[in-house]
Amino acid sequence: MHEISIAKGILSRALDAASEHGADRIDALTIEIGRATHVNPEQMVFCLEAIADSTPAAEAKIRTETIQPRAECDCGWEGAPESLDLPGGFAPDIRCPDCGQRADLVQGRECRLASIEIPDVSHDDKPPARRADEVRGSPS
Amino acid sequence: MAGLHHDHGVRFGLPDLRERLLGPLRAHRFGHGEFEATGGSDAEADVLAAIRERAGEVHERLVHDHEVFAVEFVGSTGGGKTKLIEELLERAPADERVGAVVGDVAGEDDATRLREYGIPVENINTGKECHLDPDGVDSALSAFDLDALDTLYVENVGNMVCPADFPLGTSLRVLVVSTTEGGDVVGKHPLLVQAADAAIVNKIDLAEAVGTDLDRVRGDIHEVAPEIPVFETNARAGTGVDALAAFLDARRESHTGHTHQ
Repeated sequence: MHEISIAKGILSRALDAASEHGADRIDALTIEIGRATHVNPEQMVFCLEAIADSTPAAEAKIRTETIQPRAECDCGWEGAPESLDLPGGFAPDIRCPDCGQRADLVQGRECRLASIEIPDVSHDDKPPARRADEVRGSPS
Repeated sequence: MAGLHHDHGVRFGLPDLRERLLGPLRAHRFGHGEFEATGGSDAEADVLAAIRERAGEVHERLVHDHEVFAVEFVGSTGGGKTKLIEELLERAPADERVGAVVGDVAGEDDATRLREYGIPVENINTGKECHLDPDGVDSALSAFDLDALDTLYVENVGNMVCPADFPLGTSLRVLVVSTTEGGDVVGKHPLLVQAADAAIVNKIDLAEAVGTDLDRVRGDIHEVAPEIPVFETNARAGTGVDALAAFLDARRESHTGHTHQ
């Protein structure tokens, strides 16, 4: 469905981030996908692998994580909405459990590049915490 | 297969998710922490948030800068979106300046129908895409003199899945479902129903013939998206369209401060 256009956005952000960190290769990237979206994680991975070909992310291992919804209500309630328990598909119950009004989803509608893993790069201007080997120990 | 799908908190075996999110890894995470710290927005790492941000820009241009009341119609192919817009055009006061943006994967059928009313219509063929997106609508807007428009109808591609993730920046998003799609149509597409500001159940005259339980459709809308107003129409005969038109006029007033009698 629309994973290909979203995948293009994710890849472009990953390549920008790698370039900002002086890396010429991306070893892995993680995408957070909200549960209250129609983005299909498996299709997302498939699309990303396809369009990453001949880019610095060509060999990247792609991981996805599900972000569970959170909602807030004007009455002050905040929490994880229940599922509507529709057979086969997930949708949050957006009725506030306290007052019955419609609550706003504040989490669970994202499709976000959460992290990238890049080879160890040593730059004098980078603080130690930015070194990839401290992050994941990925080989250069 | 390189891709693995995991729920939170299992991949690294760390005892505490917060530690993973906020600990030393943070320097290589893109999203909340890093972008907020540098004054950027969430949308820089979140593609869907970026789309919502783009929709917000379209909204600003259309609704606030040019005071156009914009109404999106979204729903399945064959649900009656174009017919409902035609019925609203039939009822539009003579001094209301209306335009339309029509999205379809291919063809100009809907645009041709609306042009019969003598209004400016921009047709968007999405090709491989299954929905309109804010960029496409924004480009289409350049074909209009927005200062010379009171109302813009935006008819999305017939699709009840993808548009849920792609708001367009209109004043209102109106979902059209029809009885011929079955009594379970709402429960099958809950996220789109939740993304709508109002719902129309069309072809009510056919409910009995196709065995659709209208009470179930009404009940499902209420359960999935509490508080959104629901209108029941038979667009072909014009039934129920007056109530819809009155609702839109009331919303127009609250959006732009303009009224049309």
